[in-house]
Amino acid sequence: MSNIRTTGKKSSNTLVRDLVNVGIFAALYVVLAGIAASVGFIPAFIIVSTFMVSLVTSVPLFLFFSKVERPLLCCTLLCGFFGVLMVFTGHGISISAIGIVLGIVSGLCLKVFHKSFMGCFLANVTISFLPSSMMIPLWSSTEEYLAYCSSVCDAAYIAHLNELSSSYWPLIGLFVFGALGAVIGGFIARRMMKKHFERIGLVR
Amino acid sequence: MKLDPRTKLLLTLVANGMIFTAPLAYSILMVLATSILLIFEGKWRFVCAFFFVYLGAGVFFDAVKSLDIGTSGTIIVASLFLIYRIMPGCVVLYYVMTTTKVNEFMAGMSRMHVPNKVTIPLIVMIRFFPTLFDEARDIGHAMQMRGIRLFSLRTLTNPFSILEYRLVPLLVSLTKIADELSIAVVTRGLSPETRRTCIATIGFRVQDVIVFVYCLAVVALLCGITPFSVILEDGP
Repeated sequence: MSNIRTTGKKSSNTLVRDLVNVGIFAALYVVLAGIAASVGFIPAFIIVSTFMVSLVTSVPLFLFFSKVERPLLCCTLLCGFFGVLMVFTGHGISISAIGIVLGIVSGLCLKVFHKSFMGCFLANVTISFLPSSMMIPLWSSTEEYLAYCSSVCDAAYIAHLNELSSSYWPLIGLFVFGALGAVIGGFIARRMMKKHFERIGLVR
Repeated sequence: MKLDPRTKLLLTLVANGMIFTAPLAYSILMVLATSILLIFEGKWRFVCAFFFVYLGAGVFFDAVKSLDIGTSGTIIVASLFLIYRIMPGCVVLYYVMTTTKVNEFMAGMSRMHVPNKVTIPLIVMIRFFPTLFDEARDIGHAMQMRGIRLFSLRTLTNPFSILEYRLVPLLVSLTKIADELSIAVVTRGLSPETRRTCIATIGFRVQDVIVFVYCLAVVALLCGITPFSVILEDGP
């Protein structure tokens, strides 16, 4: 044990590092989620697109969780930025509120479990609900969402969306596939962290 | 023509709102305003190229949308949608990002009493997108030299390998950039807990008032509040 005494207060330098990490990983999350979600342009894969998003973003999120020292603040900011960006792209104001709530919950998971695998795993599963939540307006305000989509998609795609909105099972499927992607992605991320990042000393 | 960062923020908000939620005429109104601002900045070549591509996509968009040709049709419509509906938003962002210095943006956010804990990651995020694409492209070239492509035999037999070959080097690179950036930020004395001084002078001028009024007028037009309707309602 070292004899260094600390005041218990975290340095403002680490706060700056955390904030920079939030900016960088938020940019990466947005880009990766956008690329993975483009699978959803194929009508048959709309439900599975959340699985792809969670799977692809698991590794960066695990690295992000292990690098930040203030999980509550950082997770809230990351999810909040994603939510606000989605508002800018026409996805209703509710997604930003959902983003902040999910960010707080995932931050609490990390705070309670102290950045252990279980903490990262639960936080990852929580954040995986964020891309799934983007489709909620299809069920909560079907008319407006289909009117918005009809200006950007072809008739066959709109018909498929209309068919999906008739039952709540696809909505449950979206969340289940998202969580499943986060679970599988979590195990892949743990393997990659051990194989690559811990070996070169990026994370402890 | 120099605009205040807060005016640019309002322009971005209104333009994105119009592009994604309002009918096409309103988005064209916002794109025209941004194009005029870009011409004042001397970027008339960019404006000409944009309108050429935009009008071309506009001609084909409705024609292709009405065709029912399955998945390929959806992909073509999605590509045209990117040009037709998202590109105007990108033009506004291009104007804001190329003409706003980080210093001025931070000063503007500080004047609006936005905490530094929100401003710092926001600036890093906005400025980091080009770096991210550059890094990803360089890693892609390096992997192609080793014969690792998206549709090569190696990646088709093991799809997760592409995640490992492309994502892990990108993450290592980004983590190093993040460390260097945070050291640079600390060295320059940027702290979330202290108030920052700024050498750049920002404030509302005549051009800001014109853009501000224009944005508010477009929003009022969308909400159905026109001078004529106000006169008619007040009249006998």
